[in-house]
Amino acid sequence: MKRQNDDLNSHSNTAATLTDTSLLQLFQIHDSAFPIGSYTHSYGMETYIQEDLIRTKEDLISFCTSFLFQNLVRGDAILIQEAYAAAEAQDMDKLLELEQLCGAIKLAKESRDASVNVGRQFIRTVTPLGTDPLLAEWKERIDAKAIKGHYAVLYGIYSATTGVSAHHAVMTYLYATLNGLITNAVRAVPFGQNTGVQAMNKLIGPVAEAAQLTARLTLDDVSNNALGIELASMKHEYLFSRLFIS
Amino acid sequence: MPHVFQQPPLKASRELYEGKDPTATVYLMESSGGMVSGDRNDITVKLAPESKVRLVQQSALKIYPSHTGETCHQRIDVEIGEGARLEWMPEVIIPFIDAKFQVDTTLKLASDSTVLWGEIIAPGREKRGEIYGYESFRSNFKIFIEDELIAFDSLHFSPREQGLGAVGVLEGAMYIGSIWLVSPKADDIDVRALQETLRIEEGLQAGMTRLEGNAIHCRWLGQDQWTLQKEMKRVYAKLAELI
Repeated sequence: MKRQNDDLNSHSNTAATLTDTSLLQLFQIHDSAFPIGSYTHSYGMETYIQEDLIRTKEDLISFCTSFLFQNLVRGDAILIQEAYAAAEAQDMDKLLELEQLCGAIKLAKESRDASVNVGRQFIRTVTPLGTDPLLAEWKERIDAKAIKGHYAVLYGIYSATTGVSAHHAVMTYLYATLNGLITNAVRAVPFGQNTGVQAMNKLIGPVAEAAQLTARLTLDDVSNNALGIELASMKHEYLFSRLFIS
Repeated sequence: MPHVFQQPPLKASRELYEGKDPTATVYLMESSGGMVSGDRNDITVKLAPESKVRLVQQSALKIYPSHTGETCHQRIDVEIGEGARLEWMPEVIIPFIDAKFQVDTTLKLASDSTVLWGEIIAPGREKRGEIYGYESFRSNFKIFIEDELIAFDSLHFSPREQGLGAVGVLEGAMYIGSIWLVSPKADDIDVRALQETLRIEEGLQAGMTRLEGNAIHCRWLGQDQWTLQKEMKRVYAKLAELI
């Protein structure tokens, strides 16, 4: 595996510092111009918006907080952390198990499809940027339809190859996911740009807390209590008109 | 039933048949009245190829307060052979105030076997005002088809530490209902049409979705137990008819 700095790869090291290049790589993959389509998904939020349940900045912050702590932290975030560790250990069996788990916990079809669609666009975009053999092997399995290519697992593998710590990988993933939701809410509610900026700013503390919490969780903690959001994602499939794919 | 092994307080009835229907109905009984601190129930069910079984729980599963701090465990392992069919519509699980409970349910199916499975979780003895008064409730529910994990529904509720009532979480719902269907005929079911028939009044929220493989999942959040149970029975009967 290609590594830029071995010291930065311990996923339990939550105080890890970032190298300049790994920090910039994180910026790049989470940039809104990075073409992985994450900004076309609302993960059920659009159902709440159409049912007029997200009307204020406070509603939006509450929704994002529930999604963060009751879904993301105990789902994708744990899987990223585990995939990162499995990639470092070159443990293909573990990665395949995580890939299956990542699909199985996403019960709502649209959320599961979104995870695969974003994942596949992600690997298509990052493949020309480097030559990590594990990532290349993962892509071969996706192309051969042996696996689906869920985003969280891919992101964990990719992060392990860039020298960023698992902690920072998880934290920026959580930030980018909520930031994507807020950007979409600004378009759909509609909120002003400043409302979106203020909501995201309020969520910075919770995101940092969520990333710290993730470091203490294992696969035994994988769960989803955000049943309201899951129902909204199921219902989204049948909405008459919609802006977002999920 | 070729093999039955049972230990009190769990007991399985003789198999019963209705008319010429080859489906064996077996009642599962729990004679103790409920689980207390650290109790453990293990239920293992194996269906031979081509067999047809309906399992019925005789009463609600009650979890008493955990005075010793120990967690009660229930484990249900089900294997469904080729071409076999299982229906399971259990009674409600009721975790009392201060209860600690974990249920691990694993369904293993062959690619052409069928299961229709339902479950309902109560917030406590609601009529006594015990609403989310339990210490912890964990449910890990897995469906494997030919060793591939296609669904993992995992609820980890600690009401005192989590804002379960918040938007996006349980949103003030009292009862959680789930139906799982795996069937070679699932592909032919019009999920959209069924979804449109789901009742969403009287405090009911409902959604239906396709899982990987030949599987469909339906979930409810409800305010009133009887309204929810009635609607779940209707959908359950409809799905049973379609497979």
